[in-house]
Amino acid sequence: MWSYTLRRVLSAIPTMLVVITVCYLLLHATPGGPFDSERKVSAAVLANLQAKYHLDLPLWQQYLLYLKSVLQGDLGASFRYADWSVNDLVASALPVSAIIGGGSLVLSLVIGVTLGIFAALRQNSMVDYLVMLLGNVGSAVPSFVLGPVLIIIFAIGLQWLPAGGWNNFELRFMVLPIVLLTVINVSTIGRVMRGSLIEVLHSNFIRTARAKGLPTHIVVLRHALKPALLPVVSLIGPLAISSITSALVTETVFSLPGLGKLIVNGAGNRDYTLVLGLVVLITVLTVALNLLVDLAYAWLDPKIRY
Amino acid sequence: MKRITKLTATALLLASAFVLCSTAATIPSGVRLHPTQTLIRNNGSEPETLDPALAESVGANNLTRDLFEGLTATDADGKAVPGVAESWKQTDATTWVFKLRKNAKWSNGDPVSADDFVYGIRRFVDPKTASTYAATFGVFLLNGPAVVKGSKPPSDIGVKAIDKNTLEVRTAFPVTFLPELMSNNNLGPVHRASLEKFGKDWTKPGNLVSNGAYVLKDWQVNNRIVFEKNPQYWDAANVQLTRVTYLPVEDGYADVKLYESGENEWVYQLPPGTYDKYKVQYPKEIRNAPMIGLRYYSYQTQDPVFKDVRVRKALSMVIDRDILAQRVTADGQAPAYSVIVAGTNGADVTPYDWASWPMEKRVAQAKSLLQQAGVKPGAKFTFSYNTSEYHKKMAVFAASEWKTKLGLAIETESMEFKVLLKKRHDGNFQMARNGWTADYNDATTFLALIRCDSDQNNNFNCNRQAEELINQGSNSTDPAKRRALLTQASKMIMDDYPIIPLLQYSLPRLVKSYVGGYSLKNAMDRFRSKDLYIIKH
Repeated sequence: MWSYTLRRVLSAIPTMLVVITVCYLLLHATPGGPFDSERKVSAAVLANLQAKYHLDLPLWQQYLLYLKSVLQGDLGASFRYADWSVNDLVASALPVSAIIGGGSLVLSLVIGVTLGIFAALRQNSMVDYLVMLLGNVGSAVPSFVLGPVLIIIFAIGLQWLPAGGWNNFELRFMVLPIVLLTVINVSTIGRVMRGSLIEVLHSNFIRTARAKGLPTHIVVLRHALKPALLPVVSLIGPLAISSITSALVTETVFSLPGLGKLIVNGAGNRDYTLVLGLVVLITVLTVALNLLVDLAYAWLDPKIRY
Repeated sequence: MKRITKLTATALLLASAFVLCSTAATIPSGVRLHPTQTLIRNNGSEPETLDPALAESVGANNLTRDLFEGLTATDADGKAVPGVAESWKQTDATTWVFKLRKNAKWSNGDPVSADDFVYGIRRFVDPKTASTYAATFGVFLLNGPAVVKGSKPPSDIGVKAIDKNTLEVRTAFPVTFLPELMSNNNLGPVHRASLEKFGKDWTKPGNLVSNGAYVLKDWQVNNRIVFEKNPQYWDAANVQLTRVTYLPVEDGYADVKLYESGENEWVYQLPPGTYDKYKVQYPKEIRNAPMIGLRYYSYQTQDPVFKDVRVRKALSMVIDRDILAQRVTADGQAPAYSVIVAGTNGADVTPYDWASWPMEKRVAQAKSLLQQAGVKPGAKFTFSYNTSEYHKKMAVFAASEWKTKLGLAIETESMEFKVLLKKRHDGNFQMARNGWTADYNDATTFLALIRCDSDQNNNFNCNRQAEELINQGSNSTDPAKRRALLTQASKMIMDDYPIIPLLQYSLPRLVKSYVGGYSLKNAMDRFRSKDLYIIKH
């Protein structure tokens, strides 16, 4: 297990290098630069700006300088936000995204798995139809519709919660964004859990367990749940990444200072260092979460050993 | 030294004789102030900086305007008023002397001196600072372009401290609007000691020393920036708002939702297509006034088809600006038929003569022009714009006008903003969306769009004769003569049809009815929080 983990961590290094290199080249190949604006800067000012950000050097030299700086843990200075380094920007946005994305993921897992179990156990009953309906509604209604509806009801109408913004991890600012992300994730998790559990419940070993006379809750909780969770676990990685780093709509609707907004604005502004820094962060998170998911497989499925 | 005309001399005498008084929030009699003087206003985006030398966007300048104060400032009506300078006089065509008030202080209690301005302005034009506005404003100062280019040291810039409270500013040519120009915070002072102490972190809360009506209390990136009243400010007694919170909400719909839930009191700009709705819904809170800005389309005048002025004129003539303003954008903007928009100082608005013709006559002439130019119905052109609901509506309308009235086949291509900019700067387009809001209230800010060799000229047209008139006007010390020359030049270039002027910007927004001091005459949209107050509600 430990050697497997070490191997996975080491194999992440070339992955990171490839991701950074490809992203670096793509960014520089994209038309328009960080200093293109409605008001075109004069040649003299452009030269000053390029010198300040080392854009006057050959591309390979800039690339090596960037790699050196990343190795030292410095993601560079933002091209757009002159007063902040990329490290500052990531450090301020990551906790917001982590708590909103992470919080909604935990809630989605609890609710989605529970609903999935109920639906699977009462297949083709009213409960099943209701869960499936909720799941389909959650998938079908876009977050940019559901978000404003939540605001109209709970912030403008009832005035229970703020319509948006963020205030030092104050719970009331987190509720609506977490609810929105949870509704989206629950629908996916619930449907996958239901399908997976139905399949497991039709397996021979479950039939054996039932034949032994075990009560349903023991059959489900002790025998069926673990293997049925495998597809859900494989979903957790991508769901966590998208909930934490790409919750752009949620961040926009609720005016949250998270990572999604930084990525989109960074790309739009051609803020090379900011985009690259966020790509590094997302790659690290992806590698780490995928590793955790793979390790969870081994715990859930006795057939898997590393 | 150039000879100063009689008119200018009179103006100088008046300026030197008249010691300008201070301005502050003017509270009409009978208005009772609310016990809590705080305001939450959305600023439209996260500022790129709080460093006045680097501030480029409208949002960043809104913030630095509260934190810092230059020699002059703009009041609620957008007029230049004394800032740190309590008076000024023009001693010759290119020399101005500003007298600084003795009670001006930095937020740490240090006095604001002429040296602070010298340091701030030298730093602003220094190539090492790499300010994007260095050339825009530097061009007015003696040796500005050479300093920005790096061929002269920053110490050569035309700014000199005569003594602690006297600053001399020398311009490269007569700049009649210098007092208004100096209200831009890029040309303001910075506190050298704190900048040298904290380096790049000098603008962070706790480090930033400012000389404006407010100090920085809190800055959470992409979340909020909080200012509190600066007790050291020379006019603090007349500053009403004790706390101002700026939000960086970009999405117009989210902005309005925050406003409706009471978490925001100042919508930055209404989302497209909602002005009519909110005008009815919030009649006491809707605020909308013309801005000194122009929405226009650029031609690539070196394109094989668009090098013919007849084609350019024909396409400009047939766009019905009234319908565009009233039905398409429908947010209170005014039709524009000139590069200079209403409210601009330094030149007259000279609309095209056909602007008052009936549309049938305009279309008939446009068809004739196209025929003369050999452009047949069905000819294909490409119009490029950056992806946005607003620009799309306008582009669809323009394309439909060209198609239905002239039979042209217009292909509209939507692209990311930076891609459009690259295309425009490289001249790789036929027709493209464009827009401009004034950096300062003078005709030259708009003439930059159509002048030869101007960085802002995306249309590649050059009228040397008009250029000569502009140069004559710029060197004139007689405001009336200057105005006449710039007006004539602008008309002359616009008769080349390098651009299609469409609409004069306005900024429809919602501001709570209890926010006092909001003037609809502020055509540059430069509202100092100092001029605002909260009415009892």
